[in-house]
Amino acid sequence: MSSPSADPPPGAGAAPGAAPARAAPVLEVTGVSKRFDMTQALDDVSLSLHAGEVHALVGENGAGKSTLIKILTGVEQSDEGEVRVEGRTVHLANAQEAQACGVAAIYQEPLVFPDLDVAENIFITHRDQALLVNWPRMYAKAEDLLASLGVRLDVRAPARGLTLASQQAVEIAKAISLEVKVLIMDEPTASLSDHEVRQLFRVARQLRDRGVAVLFITHRLEEVFEIADRITVLRDGEHISTRPAGEVTRDLLIRDMVGREVDQFYGIGGDWRSRTIGRQVCRVRGLGREGVFSGIDFDLHEGEVLGFAGLVGSRRTDVALALFGIQPADRGTVEIDGRTVRITSPRAAQQLGVAYMTEDRRKLGLAMPLSIAANVTLPVLRRYLSRLGLVQRSREEAAAEGFRERLRIKAPSALHVVGKLSGGNQQKVMFGKWLNTRPRIFLLDEPTRGIDVGAKAEVHAMVRELAEEGMAILCISSDLPEVLAMSDRILVMREGRQMGILGGSEATQEAVMSLATGEAGEEDPDAGAGRAAS
Amino acid sequence: MRLRAETRREGVLLLLIVLVLFGFSLVIENYLGARLFNRVSASVAILAILAIGQTLVVLTRNIDLSVGSIVGFTAYFVGQQLSLDNDIHPLVAVLMAVGLGAALGACNGVLVAWCRVPAIIVTLGTLALYRTILVEYSDAQTILTVNLPQWLIDLPRLNVVSYERLHLRAVVAVMLAVAVLFQLLLRYSSFGRRLYAIGSSPEAAHSAGFPTRRLVFAAFVLCGALAGLTGFLFLARFGNITVVAGLGLELKSVAAVVVGGINIFGGSGSVLGAVLGASLIDLLENSLIRSLQVSEFLRDALLGILILAAVAIDSVFMKRRRDP
Repeated sequence: MSSPSADPPPGAGAAPGAAPARAAPVLEVTGVSKRFDMTQALDDVSLSLHAGEVHALVGENGAGKSTLIKILTGVEQSDEGEVRVEGRTVHLANAQEAQACGVAAIYQEPLVFPDLDVAENIFITHRDQALLVNWPRMYAKAEDLLASLGVRLDVRAPARGLTLASQQAVEIAKAISLEVKVLIMDEPTASLSDHEVRQLFRVARQLRDRGVAVLFITHRLEEVFEIADRITVLRDGEHISTRPAGEVTRDLLIRDMVGREVDQFYGIGGDWRSRTIGRQVCRVRGLGREGVFSGIDFDLHEGEVLGFAGLVGSRRTDVALALFGIQPADRGTVEIDGRTVRITSPRAAQQLGVAYMTEDRRKLGLAMPLSIAANVTLPVLRRYLSRLGLVQRSREEAAAEGFRERLRIKAPSALHVVGKLSGGNQQKVMFGKWLNTRPRIFLLDEPTRGIDVGAKAEVHAMVRELAEEGMAILCISSDLPEVLAMSDRILVMREGRQMGILGGSEATQEAVMSLATGEAGEEDPDAGAGRAAS
Repeated sequence: MRLRAETRREGVLLLLIVLVLFGFSLVIENYLGARLFNRVSASVAILAILAIGQTLVVLTRNIDLSVGSIVGFTAYFVGQQLSLDNDIHPLVAVLMAVGLGAALGACNGVLVAWCRVPAIIVTLGTLALYRTILVEYSDAQTILTVNLPQWLIDLPRLNVVSYERLHLRAVVAVMLAVAVLFQLLLRYSSFGRRLYAIGSSPEAAHSAGFPTRRLVFAAFVLCGALAGLTGFLFLARFGNITVVAGLGLELKSVAAVVVGGINIFGGSGSVLGAVLGASLIDLLENSLIRSLQVSEFLRDALLGILILAAVAIDSVFMKRRRDP
């Protein structure tokens, strides 16, 4: 076994926050670009990390943070640009090489071996040298390591039963034992309780004081100000700013993160907003699901589009899943047409006129190997049965043909296999599938995710058309300008709680971001409760 | 002190074995005695070696259903060579069996590790394939005891140690040596620990940079090699080898492993557990035949019940499933 050491690596002892700019950076990224099909995930991004600093990386959903981390940890390779570790240019072809260079990452949900015990999880990756395991010595070392982090764990217990916070501690201990120079923490606090967050911060500071460069990714701005020495903002794959934390204000940070003008992209005329909104269809009060989300209140009217905004992990999808009965709510009330209803299954939801279009086309949305016709008729197959109980292909085809024309699905016929269509056209098939159930309340979850600009515009037009026909629409989207342009009102969520509903002129990017990152909004006494139980 | 789950399981198995012994001693006259030990221990040895091989594979979240065919194949092949030439050195014969088994296991390993075919499909295929090749190769001839060299015929009754009428057969000693070797390998070598790691979380093993394919391949090769060794002992024990030799041993080996507490979804279990599982199964089978003259079909039913009970008890009471 290699000798895992709790001693600080050379170069330790830099005073926290002490002008690290003068020393050579431990890790330097220059001009990195990465493209995935349609989207430019990273565009000429540069970043440097110094020993003994906590560097926060912030940005909206899709700003490119995850892609940058994947490149630094060797999971993805950049198209252009280079990565230097201690001045040496490195090519990180896989996770192994990144680790060998002293770059490690811990994630929101750590990858541990559930059957192996805590000590083994810490040391199993570096057993190459020795032939045999010296168990007593390994346990002793694991105990020392965890103690040096101020963490109390039974090193002989299997990792299976550990909380996420403890699993993260194990991963951090592993990183220390590997003598990492750069530790990336990718939204490590997203599923932790307040107490656990405190503990994690203490460890992060300790690592910094030992001379490790910590890259800290989070959606919570208050955490950024608490922990970071420097802050880098990414937006739309571009590097926007890097500043010492002391020189940044909250407003400045939000402006850097948002930055765009809405109407440049979404030329939606004012006349569509001036249409009349009908009577109330749905009334939701105090909706919640144990440990997931709570306290959701809103009304939804005929012809209205209610946007759901929030960052990743804000539990917007969970609310939709509850309203569609996939993961039923366990508290609060839902009224439809003034009648209190209990939605306990997707079947019940459909009977009440609710439809839910998933964000995950591949897994939950469409049967990829089947035809457009088969997909469109699937939820209401009963309508297409003959007296013998067999599916009447001709009627099925006729119905699908109708949707194909109406939704302008680009396919030679309704019998075309869905899996071979483009993302945008698949999305339209999904629209057709749920419109075929003749819903009155339509829950859209990321309706424009992963489709190109042209298809996006068509989806937007379709949503408007449906609203004008009087459908009540709830639209979840992580694309902030899109939500702003499409919605009559916007409900903002953060960590399973409703932060407010913005309507009319209040709904600006800054206002939404400010609620979504928790910088504004009322403080709730049980604020931690929603995320304590992960 | 908190006991490891594996230790607890081993304790329960020991207790069950004692209960079975006690139960049958009430039903069968002169049940407990040197004869029972001598006979059952020799029979257990063959199954236990096979189960140890199976354990290596199951730990990595795979399964080897072809072991019965590998046993039959090696038993026949080595028997044929020894019949043709009685002067082959015993050590050469053993190496021949182990090598042939390892080669057949390597075929499984390549298909599972590199061709990405699920182990259950691969080994179901080779289960049939190896057996068919044996049928073709043997031309439905039988290996006869009379043609085998005398040292092989004497092997099953060869004792290492004897105490009054209690004998420790050489076969049992071989099994014990194999068990100790693999218990140490799994507990203390980085190779062994990584087999556990792969079965526990293939994703984490991959991202930790383990050579997962080579490790899974090695597990299949070792399993095949141990099946080859089992084939040799099978030949020594029965002498007359037909094309159906070893038929159904795959079911018995899986039963021994599962009853022995090795998680069928990989990641946990021990060699000791597998040996105890094999002992319990063989003891039950032997004793039932003596007491009730149970038919062969009912013995298969017994195996089925044991497998189902073991897995059901695991998932219901120990909440042990694929996902934590």
